[in-house]
Amino acid sequence: MTYSDVSRAKAIADAEAVFVMDEEAFRGFYDRNARGVWAYLSRVTGDRQLADDLLQETFYRFLRAASVAPTDRDRFDSEAHRRNSLYRIATNLAKDARRRSFTRPAASVAGDDVEHLADCGRGGGDHGTDIDRRTDVRRAMFQLRPRDRAMLWLAYAEGASHDEIAGVIGVQPSSMKLLLFRARRRMAKLLGREDGGAK
Amino acid sequence: MRQIECAFESEVVMAVVQSRWPDRADAELREHVKTCEICADVAAVAGAIECALEESAACVAFPGTLPDSGLVWWKAQMRARREAVAAAGRPITAVHLAAFACAVGLLGACIGATSSWFQGALKWAWAGITGIDIKAIVPYVAALIEGHGLLIACMVAMVFVVPVAVYLAIGRD
Repeated sequence: MTYSDVSRAKAIADAEAVFVMDEEAFRGFYDRNARGVWAYLSRVTGDRQLADDLLQETFYRFLRAASVAPTDRDRFDSEAHRRNSLYRIATNLAKDARRRSFTRPAASVAGDDVEHLADCGRGGGDHGTDIDRRTDVRRAMFQLRPRDRAMLWLAYAEGASHDEIAGVIGVQPSSMKLLLFRARRRMAKLLGREDGGAK
Repeated sequence: MRQIECAFESEVVMAVVQSRWPDRADAELREHVKTCEICADVAAVAGAIECALEESAACVAFPGTLPDSGLVWWKAQMRARREAVAAAGRPITAVHLAAFACAVGLLGACIGATSSWFQGALKWAWAGITGIDIKAIVPYVAALIEGHGLLIACMVAMVFVVPVAVYLAIGRD
């Protein structure tokens, strides 16, 4: 056995213990959070296939991030901190993906997503009205800046607090109220609410 | 100073999330929203996000949309092993490269010390380098800059401006 073989064997053995979360704990955590993270990624990126890819990458990096910071392990005992960490990783990955494909126009992404509507929206109720409303919402969301999308989704879909949103998107908590107000104003305008005065 | 929050925001959000908005919400709250721009925005946006959330839930409910947790765990383990092996291999590769560089250096030194044609070529190259008169080149360079100054300035500007422009374009938002 050469030095290389010994080194490789040791590396594989180290990799076995690299995740602080064991399989059972991970599977529970994944089952509780994967849907929410996927929905978040698909809304922020506007691309369902990309969301599929980023979902796995997010969980992988979460496992690795948790393992490389042994001093922060106590932090990870809390489900809320784990979730925040997961969404922070997802946000950064979505940002990186957007930088890589910055030449791709947002409108085409929204257009792609519209085509998936018929697949996703089948269910009870007034199908035509539902589709119209969902299309309007989707169009409005994709005209927003990605950071605004992320903030509004975290605030109203995930019910995150201002501090949690600030931690996930990487801004000062003190500026969250104003940023959220502006994002909400932009989204409301895009949804057809007139500027100034309630409808 | 413009108001950016309202005390009734959370009540409006709760009404939307619990599907009480607008028909089954309190009449007082409905009246307030009619006159409050902030709460009207909150109702519109929270309602839209709720609609999008329902759509996403319908997408995720399709079998096969999300990979199984066991598969994700297994893939993560495989990838961690691959990366660990690659990381372990890197120092060995570095040692191999250093050994190769030493061997090439030693071989070069042997050839340099023993080969007469190599020493002759070295002397010729050194004489060429030391024979260059820098003062004689200066007028040629000055003439070049004078004749094509604008072009040279543009090229230099491109070298600095283009990377900055690309960085700003990519780094926006």
